[in-house]
Formats: sequence, C-alpha cells, structure tokens
Amino acid sequence: MKIINFLGLSFLKGALGHWWHQRLTAICIIPLSLWFMASLVGHLRSDHETVVTWISSPFVTMLMVLLICGIFYHAKLGVQVVIEDYIHTRGFKLVLLTALNTGALAGALAGVLSIFSITFGIL
Amino acid sequence: MAEFTLPKNSKIVEGKTYDFSTKGGNNKVFSIYRWDPDAKELPKVDKYIIDLDKCGPMVLDAIIYIKNEIDPTLTFRRSCREGICGSCAMNIDGTNTLACTKSIQSVKKAVKIYPLPHMKVAKDLVPDLKHFYDQYASIKPWLQSETPPPAEKERLQSKAEREKIDGLYECILCACCSTSCPSYWWNSDRYLGPAALLQSYRWLADSRDESTEERLDALEDPFKLYRCHTIMNCAKTCPKGLNPAKAIAEIKKMMASRSLETN
Amino acid sequence: MESKPLSPHLQIYRPQLTSVLSISHRASGIFLGTAGLLALVVWLGSIALGPSQYEMTMSFLRHPLMLPVLLLWTGAFYYHLSNGIRHLFWDMGVGFELSTAYRSGYAVIGSTVALTSATWIYAFFEVIVEVMG
Repeated sequence: MKIINFLGLSFLKGALGHWWHQRLTAICIIPLSLWFMASLVGHLRSDHETVVTWISSPFVTMLMVLLICGIFYHAKLGVQVVIEDYIHTRGFKLVLLTALNTGALAGALAGVLSIFSITFGIL
Repeated sequence: MAEFTLPKNSKIVEGKTYDFSTKGGNNKVFSIYRWDPDAKELPKVDKYIIDLDKCGPMVLDAIIYIKNEIDPTLTFRRSCREGICGSCAMNIDGTNTLACTKSIQSVKKAVKIYPLPHMKVAKDLVPDLKHFYDQYASIKPWLQSETPPPAEKERLQSKAEREKIDGLYECILCACCSTSCPSYWWNSDRYLGPAALLQSYRWLADSRDESTEERLDALEDPFKLYRCHTIMNCAKTCPKGLNPAKAIAEIKKMMASRSLETN
Repeated sequence: MESKPLSPHLQIYRPQLTSVLSISHRASGIFLGTAGLLALVVWLGSIALGPSQYEMTMSFLRHPLMLPVLLLWTGAFYYHLSNGIRHLFWDMGVGFELSTAYRSGYAVIGSTVALTSATWIYAFFEVIVEVMG
C-alpha cells in the first residue's frame, strides 16, 4: 500500500527537491510576507522602542524567524534557476552559485541573529 | 552567458527589393529572411512587393508565387499545404506558425517572415532540425510494454483511457512551440523543449504504456524538464491549438505525486 | 563551408501578455531577493543596534529620493506574490487554457495595482496624521 510521505520532501535532493522546496517555501511565505507587509505599514510612524517591543513578543519573534528563513531559502532557489538559465560558463557559474549560497546563508543568519538580539537583548 | 544578441555571422543586413506590384492592385510587401550558404555573405532581408490577386490566400501561396514567378532561389520547406505535415513552420509576423494555414489577410502591415527562431539556418527559411529530432527520439516515442498483446487482438483502451491522449496525439512535430520558447533558446542543448515534452507526456498518459517509471526517471533532471517556466509562448503559437505547457505541468505533477508516495 | 547563422529570436519574436508577465516575475523576484532582502536585513540589524542606528536607517528610507524605490519595492512585492499564486495554480494543473491564462494574467496586474495603491494610500494617511500631530 502506498502512503503519503510529506516528511520525505524535506530531504528530497536534486531537481525534484528544488521544485518542491520552491513551492513549499512559497506557500509558507505568502501569509508570512503579507502579515509582515501589513505590520510594516502599521509601524511607519513607530519609534525604536515601539518596534523593539513589537518584535520582542514571542509570537512576532517566531513569525519573523520563519519569514527570514523561508524567504531567504525561496530567494536562493529562485536566483539559482536564473543563474543556471543564463550563465553557461562553468567556472563563472560556480563562482556565482557559491556567492549566492554564501550570501543567502549570511543574510539569513544576520536577519535571525538581529531578531534574537532584539528579543533577548544579546547586544 | 546566454547570448541575447545575434552572433557576428548572424547579423541581418538589408537586402534587395523586388517590386512586382501592379498599379492600383491589391499589393502587399513580404519581407523575407535570406541566407545562402554558398554566398559567404551575412543574412539579409529581401522585400517582395506582389499583387495578392495573383496568388492564393495563405502566406505559403504567396511565397510559392514568389518562388515561381519572381525569385526561384527562395528556399523553404513545404509539402501538404493543409496543416498536417508541419513542413512549412516559420516565423510570420512575430509568431511561429504554418505558412499554409496562416492567411495573408490576418497580417495588417508588411508580412515579415523569418526561419523558426534561434535555430541554425541551412538556407533561407530552412532551419537545421537535427537536434530537435534527436531530442524527440530521446524520449523514446513508442509504446513500451512488457505484457504481450492479447492473442489476435489489439491492446484495447476504454473510452476514458483513450481520451487522455486527446490534445497530445495531434502534435505534428512542426517545432513551432519549441522554437518559440525563450527557455529553449537559452538552453536547447539540455532542455528538451515543449514539443519533445508534450510527446513524452503522450506516452506517459497512454494506458497501454508500462514504462512510466523509467520515462519519469529519465526526465528527473534540472534541465530536461524543469527549465519550463510556464512562459506559455508554446501554447499561444501552436498551429494545432495544443497546449504543451499544460502537458509539461502534468509531467511535473506526476513527478511530484510520485515523490509523495512511499511503498 | 561557412558556419550556419543563428536565426533571429528575441529580436523578432512578438511579446505577448504571458511572456511579459513571466519575465516580470523573474525581474521582480531578483529585485526582491537581492536589494529587497538586503534592505530587510539592514532594517532588522539597525533595530538590533539601537535607537540612533534605527533612526538613521529610517531617515534614509524616508528620504524623498527613496520614494520611487519603495514604490517599486511594494509593486514588485505584490506582483511577485500575485503571480506566484498564479504559478501555484498552474503547478496543480489548473488554468492552462489560453483564455484562462490571459484572464489570470490581467487579474494579477489588477491585484498588483490594487494592493500597491491600497498600501500607499494607507501610508499616505499615516503620514498626514503624523504631520497634523
């Protein structure tokens, strides 16, 4: 008998894994990014203290971390396709893909660390 | 880098004008891409001004008229002249179509005719289709079955099973779709393109075919299948009204649902 | 033998709604994924660093010259979001009929304009409230 295996998707590699992860991250960041956009507009006039209080609430911290992880992974997968589509020189492609992976990882880390430091007052 | 501009040897220059218009006649300009492999010249666009009352209603009628009456060196493929052989596929008025089913009247201004886009040109409107046919062969376009056919009978399908290959079997392999696809332009060396993928799905959807798993395995590659980004040029341009984009999506769906199932 | 020329492609192929929306999806994605995400991280970082850094970032973002960039950013965001949902329907095999694909394309343009306008109208009133005290 065949059973549906969602957990397997997170470990999928290769072209099919790329396809799944692109879609799954998209589905996750649709509500997250809309929520973030709405919050951002709501905080147009907020001073530092208000914004810190907002982000520091456990719920917002969690959503922000999810948003950062989902959006950076989604962006990484998307830009990767663009590079693969247009760049055909092996060496240059490798350089760009490495830069992309490093940049996405660094960006996501910087974002998540900023959120943690806002919430837990590390800095 | 994918080349978005034309290479040096492919830049198009202005060609000759053949004015065969008649005074007060139903005249129309045909601008046609020309390249002669023996001339060692750049490709050019020649202009033919003809009286439409002297030829039939389709673009193919006009270029046959030009070849017969004005310039016998004009080279193009044609055969059935009724939209079933796919030979006269070319780019007319900015989209790929069959010259034999494209009416001249549907083009408002001058009729611009180029070979199918982003292809090596053999001569004038004749592209080199070898790679396109090789890709078609690579999807193994034939019935693969371990089960022997029933004795002295055909392999029967139910009406519903047969309907699954409607919209697929009609493909005439004219190459209009594949050569309209920007993704195919940049990556035709590895991306199979809409035509070969539609044909692949034609066999995946066939109830009698038993190598579904092998067919899907062969397509599970970053380039062969997944370079389709649903640009939809293929569906818009298909002279048979088929929808390769949908067929490709169905293959991706099969891939995805296969990955959800574990035994 | 002379090497065969390449037939013209981008130069001569007529753009159509679906192809223009497709390349726009890519362009907006690259913009959001590079400049957009950089701004997001800088914004978060400045909040973490303290009030003066936060004010600096905000005054930069509030600079009149940033207005078109922010407009572009919100537009790109709503466009990529709307068209992304269109793509998810396609991934389920829905909406491939040419007429449907055109209608959904126009719907995406409509929703982009509507959501971007709504956001900016709201933002505009927020600023008015601030000016009026």
